[in-house]
Amino acid sequence: MITIKDLGFAYGEKVVLKNISMTLEEGRIYGLLGENGVGKTTLLTLLCGLKRPQAGSIDTDGLKPFDRQPSLLSDQYYLSDEVPAMNMKAEEYAKNYGKFWENFDLGKFHEVMAVFENDPQQKMTHMSFGQLKKTYISFALACNTKHLYMDEPTNGLDIPSKSQFRKAVTKYTREDSIILISTHQVRDLENIIDPIIILDRQDVLLNATLEEISQKLYFDYSSEKIEDALYCEMIPGGNIQVCLNQSGEDSKVNIEALFNTVHQHKELIKGIFNK
Amino acid sequence: MKNDIFNFRRFGKYFASDLMTCRANYGLSLLTISLVFPIALYLIINVFHLIMESTWNGPDLGLRFFVFCVAMFCLIVTMPVKCYGKLTEKQYGSFWLTLPASKLEKFISMFIIICIIAPFAGAALYIGADALICAFDHTCGKNLIAGSIEFVRKWSEMGEMTMNFVDETFTIEDATLTKELLEQLSSPLLYIDEIFGITLPFLLGAIYFKSSKTVKTILVLFAISTVSSIVMAPIVDSWSSELLENMNNDPTAILEMFSNGLFKNLVLLDTVTDTIVNVALLTCIWFRIKTLKH
Repeated sequence: MITIKDLGFAYGEKVVLKNISMTLEEGRIYGLLGENGVGKTTLLTLLCGLKRPQAGSIDTDGLKPFDRQPSLLSDQYYLSDEVPAMNMKAEEYAKNYGKFWENFDLGKFHEVMAVFENDPQQKMTHMSFGQLKKTYISFALACNTKHLYMDEPTNGLDIPSKSQFRKAVTKYTREDSIILISTHQVRDLENIIDPIIILDRQDVLLNATLEEISQKLYFDYSSEKIEDALYCEMIPGGNIQVCLNQSGEDSKVNIEALFNTVHQHKELIKGIFNK
Repeated sequence: MKNDIFNFRRFGKYFASDLMTCRANYGLSLLTISLVFPIALYLIINVFHLIMESTWNGPDLGLRFFVFCVAMFCLIVTMPVKCYGKLTEKQYGSFWLTLPASKLEKFISMFIIICIIAPFAGAALYIGADALICAFDHTCGKNLIAGSIEFVRKWSEMGEMTMNFVDETFTIEDATLTKELLEQLSSPLLYIDEIFGITLPFLLGAIYFKSSKTVKTILVLFAISTVSSIVMAPIVDSWSSELLENMNNDPTAILEMFSNGLFKNLVLLDTVTDTIVNVALLTCIWFRIKTLKH
């Protein structure tokens, strides 16, 4: 379990995260959403130990990430949004570095590379950005770590690769793992992320499972206008409207509409979900 | 309970992969510097001799030794940046910091590769290439190793000669002192730790500065030497004034001062001062690794 308590971080005078508290539980794929510059990448880098918290604390299974102890590092993987092109073949890279992660599975690396239709014999310096990203995603999944942090993993991937990514994440991750994926492109991950965390400037607006969200909010896809809708967006053939779920009726959560609703009614949503 | 500070098995794995990464990043440059320098020197000097004197004559030992020092300096200056300079870049730095090995293991591996393996591998390749050239073309004379051994032998003989050259103006004490000084100067210990003294500042510069790493390191070294010269000048000045005054009063006092202190313990003094500087540099490198963030 990861416990974040009163976390604070600033770049000089610019405060990015302030009093952030949340708990990340095992067996979940968290979607970390937020506008540009709200601190999604900062939060991920703090979680994986690339930065030291300036206030508060992060506890990952009893360890502090910034201590960068090998026992924690070997059970976590951070996939950055920008990945380095190493001067070696993808397979060489996997063999050379995979041995540092106790549960690394070279066979799984090849399987995921095959899912992505990526050639493990290709030199990483000769790969396109998308191919390089797919190599690193394959490596990240093959590491079989308990904690997996991915920053904008679908950036640079083509349309088939995005669905291959969803397939790979659901098939090749551990049951007990905590996966945190930050993204702007919610549609790419719509069916795999649950719970959803929405970050705002210096605040967490929402941290709830899809079940909790659908219990408290109702997503209407009809063409009839709802008077007290919190959010309404026209789509071909009707509307997406979000309103408070007073009847307890089930509905399919539309993450993009949810994101916009949360941003338009910050205090109301925080009030509803913090009850 | 896992050892999070140092584990031999994990260190072995890390060191092997670190070495492989360095080979991929710098192997070709190391080969180029170590092999191209002696071959190019040999060809240029021969062409020069052919044009100017119409003779086939290879470079002499002195010139070859000078170019060897230049090549080793180029290698030592460029290698840390090529191997570890990327640590300050977000992409590679993030990857390196999250690689499951302890900070101590990463630090030791870095030290071994930059301060021991690279200079010795480069020197071995260079000396090997030089030996091959000398074996094929006798106009070059002795190879670097044989030439150096010969040089040290002659150096020692000079000491013996001074012992025999004793008359009224040059006393037996003078001769003993000269012999001791020459022996001290020919000690390899005097020079081996200099390798660390040259490599460590460039390694620190490679992982500290974000851009123009080599140039900035040279500028910092230049600034430090300028400041230390300004600080040390009055001290040396007062010391030399005192020395001159003593020399006027009692010439033997200076001889005693040198023979009892500086000359006899030259290697020890040099090793101690170099060790202090090297330990300070290693401490800075360690703290840089420990506090590196992305």
